[in-house]
Amino acid sequence: MSKEDLIIRLVNKIKSCKLQDFSIMEVCGTHTQSISKLGIRELFYPKINLISGPGCPVCVTSEGYIDVAIEILNRKNVIITTFGDLMKVKGSKENLIEEREKGKKINIVYSPLDAVKIAEENKDSQVVFLAVGFETTAPLIGLAIKKAKENNINNFSVLSNLKVMKPVLHKILKDENHKIQGIICPGHVAVIKGAEYFSFITEEYNIPAVVTGFESLDIISAIYFLIKQKNVNKKQFKNLYKTCVTSKGNLFANEIMKEVFLNNHCTWRGIGEIPNSGLYVNNKYQDFDALKKFNLTIKEESNDCCVCGEIILGKKFPDNCKFFGRECTPEAPVGPCMVSSEGTCSIYYKYRKVGKF
Amino acid sequence: MCLAIPGRIKFIDGNLADVDIMGVEKKVDIQLIENPKVEDYILIHAGFGIQKIDVDYFSYLQNIFQKEIDNEENI
Repeated sequence: MSKEDLIIRLVNKIKSCKLQDFSIMEVCGTHTQSISKLGIRELFYPKINLISGPGCPVCVTSEGYIDVAIEILNRKNVIITTFGDLMKVKGSKENLIEEREKGKKINIVYSPLDAVKIAEENKDSQVVFLAVGFETTAPLIGLAIKKAKENNINNFSVLSNLKVMKPVLHKILKDENHKIQGIICPGHVAVIKGAEYFSFITEEYNIPAVVTGFESLDIISAIYFLIKQKNVNKKQFKNLYKTCVTSKGNLFANEIMKEVFLNNHCTWRGIGEIPNSGLYVNNKYQDFDALKKFNLTIKEESNDCCVCGEIILGKKFPDNCKFFGRECTPEAPVGPCMVSSEGTCSIYYKYRKVGKF
Repeated sequence: MCLAIPGRIKFIDGNLADVDIMGVEKKVDIQLIENPKVEDYILIHAGFGIQKIDVDYFSYLQNIFQKEIDNEENI
């Protein structure tokens, strides 16, 4: 049987299943994008409700963090380096695009090592990398910090807003009102942390969970695996992304994270503070911590007036928001979920047809 | 942002490798990859190889789900 025939047979099996409003959360923004792009969300609705989760790091970057980045930009001889997605995220007043229009130096980079290179080439400037991302990205930033230390590139530092997935998933699943009946775990976080990292979802909450890839067969088979357990008492966890995900993950990458970062509380935009959900530069590497270098603290406050927070927690859909598609579009985002290409609102806007989708 | 793409290692020079990513050659840092070799497929995120792709599992999904749906009437 060809892969295409198998997908068709699985789709037909799922569609013929007796189900109503079976809620599955896809945690990762890249999964959200694939599911919408492939039309899977509407294919199974209303039997299956695919809910998008908190796995877009740009969407959960707090206003206070952006404000501190802008404050650093106001110091003399500073170059900010960042992944492009962060440019449109608004702080309490402005975003980085507006700062660049004022003549501030902001370079978009593809890799954190590019930021280290910029520091090497600009010894008279302080080069700050805006470190946003989850466990997939954190080891790379850890390596960039180690490289800067080993090569005495002391004009390089990192403003960390790195986050880890487990605490936010606990927060979602501890909510008595959640309706989640299955979870598609973030595949590339699992590449680093290992499939076992997510087995707590099934062990502690008895919710079926699956690690999977991003192609159509990956996602369809994950959904099939989850709904098959609808009448099973003891739910199962499975790793279907064995091409890239081992049970323990990338051990060296995990060592790097342990060596460079420490866990502490972190504010998730729209959600609030979550204990132990942030990764910060530890004392050994404190010379490369931008907060210490510039003697700053992040003051958290929220001026968001939309429902992004509830969308990130899977409690609302973008079309439940009065701004969605009207005042709030990818060109002029009101809330953070409309900013990134992996944000739920941005994805729903891009692939929307009519009604709910 | 956790987007990662596959590529094939063509040449290794220390921590860096020339990697063929869908026909485009790019320098990738491979220090997170255990025992990298030329012709290995790797997963790339933000300029770094983050894991080897295990080609033995290329047909894994097809093998398990084909058997499952052949054996099951309805779910």
